Amino acid sequence: MSHQLPVILFLLPLLAAISMPVVCLKHRHWSQPISTATLAAMVLVSILNLYNIVHHGEIRYVFSGWAAPLGIEWVADGLASIVLLLLSILGLLGVVFNKPIYPKALGGRIVHFHTLILLFISALTGITFAGDLFNLFVFLEVAAISSYALVGVAGGRALFAAFRYLILGTIGAALYLLGVSYLYAVTGTLNMADIASKLPMLLSSKALVGGLLFMFIGLGIKMALVPFHTWMPEAYTYAPESVSPILAPLITKVVLLAWVRIIYWVFDASIVIYDIPILKIVAVLGVLAAVIGSSLALAQRDIKMMFAYGGIAHIGIIIIGIGQGNQTGFVGGIFYLLNDAVMQAGLFYIAGVAFYLYGVRTIDDLWHIGKQAPWLTGSLIIMALGMIGLPPTGGFFGKWYIILGALEAGNYISVAAVVLSTLLTLAYFVKLFEGIFRQTSARSNIQFGEVPLAFKLTMGITSAAIIILGLFSAPIVQLLLDNALPPGL
Amino acid sequence: MVDAFSAVFQRPNFLTFVIIFLWGFYIMVTRYNLVKKLIGMYLVQTSVIFFLVSISAKKGATLPILLSTTEPVQAANYANPLPHVLTLTAIVVGVATLGVGLALCAAIYRTYGSLDEEEILKKLE
Repeated sequence: MSHQLPVILFLLPLLAAISMPVVCLKHRHWSQPISTATLAAMVLVSILNLYNIVHHGEIRYVFSGWAAPLGIEWVADGLASIVLLLLSILGLLGVVFNKPIYPKALGGRIVHFHTLILLFISALTGITFAGDLFNLFVFLEVAAISSYALVGVAGGRALFAAFRYLILGTIGAALYLLGVSYLYAVTGTLNMADIASKLPMLLSSKALVGGLLFMFIGLGIKMALVPFHTWMPEAYTYAPESVSPILAPLITKVVLLAWVRIIYWVFDASIVIYDIPILKIVAVLGVLAAVIGSSLALAQRDIKMMFAYGGIAHIGIIIIGIGQGNQTGFVGGIFYLLNDAVMQAGLFYIAGVAFYLYGVRTIDDLWHIGKQAPWLTGSLIIMALGMIGLPPTGGFFGKWYIILGALEAGNYISVAAVVLSTLLTLAYFVKLFEGIFRQTSARSNIQFGEVPLAFKLTMGITSAAIIILGLFSAPIVQLLLDNALPPGL
Repeated sequence: MVDAFSAVFQRPNFLTFVIIFLWGFYIMVTRYNLVKKLIGMYLVQTSVIFFLVSISAKKGATLPILLSTTEPVQAANYANPLPHVLTLTAIVVGVATLGVGLALCAAIYRTYGSLDEEEILKKLE
């Protein structure tokens, strides 16, 4: 039974998504409980799955009995299971967060929203488990199509952002498919492990380098790496308040995970460090993303836009860690990826609450919040500590390991970029807090209602998670070192 | 240099792929009409599918069904079915993307009364 867990994890949200439009045709208010229950079940199963994989080793799931090079294979290893646990928790929190907000944010399209969310989560599960390059492409596209629809689900300004996202995302997908067909032409197989075993004999092939570059650019567009990031801030800013906290932490990070899998599992660590030195390009792009993303965040006035650019900078920091080509940097990058997903979710919850309860869109409206919102201000302070990277939070330890890895590799520019990005992050949070605590005379006139339980729950859990990830960083990093390291690193 | 040119012209399928891909890309970048952008997008997708088909084409091969059960299998006589399956899947993915794109176009037209990118941007400000 336990070796079926990866497939159960995928089927739970998929079956719920398929049955949702039928079941909820007459009873629209059932959609919220159904998706909450499905995602809660998914959290439980993914805890079981992680426990199982830590104790009994990785699972290679073979579909319908066709063994690996011929059939489609899923690989449930430590890295995939850890990311999957995070993914299901953030999905559940996102659906819970939606409860008080949806009549205003979604314009009545509640069933569409829940169907798409479940489809999106199941596609992301497929991306994390896929052990086959083409299978990965299909899941990438399912996730991407449902996220285009999610961005535009409420109509209005978001439609145009969704259209731009669709155009750029499809170029990314086409380039990725082109890279896959290059690799297929060279090796004659699509299975990741099979390609990995054939590559050492084929290193002189130029098509290999071309395929790797096309895949990198394609996935780079989807993960909003800096020269290709233009779709992302608009899509996250204009997406409905209930959509952006689910989209923002998940899609870019899971695509980044897929890229890490291709670079370290399909291509071996020694190939990407010595034979085809793409890790150097990756580290340089990470430096660019970290610095440019934070600088652009500092220039924004819209708070969701600011957080989205912050996310772009953090993708850069993760990429810096992964691009160092040593264990410390890799584990730091993955640990920071977990932290960053939680922080992005928390920041977009805060932005959603600020808009829904206090009507805050830009920095100029922030004085509405003031001292009346202890939950919001408190969790914003914790998120800020995490984003800047101060000691009790997980952000500090992630950056710490990334910097240690960069020092180990002798890559001082990367260290400087992480530090500079930290300073810029500090600057834009100072700008936010200056807006909140600015003294104005108009404050006393405005009265606001009680903060709904769902908001307290989501903001509380994400803030607590940032602190917990920091306090227990040593065992988590040890878990990653034991279970999530690529072969040969 | 001459070698490179002759290598390119000996593979007209690659040349065609590059032309269709860049043509689609050019349409996407230069046209302001959203539907035209979608057409360019579809050309890009189709060109990649064309590439996948053309690298797997084989002269004188037949369907991958065994001709005789007694003789040993000659791989050269059969076409590889995998690229064609991949192509079908990629076409389905492309159609789904195009469908969502057209739906978004329709919704944009209903909201802004125009499909011209510049006009829409003007109305957004």
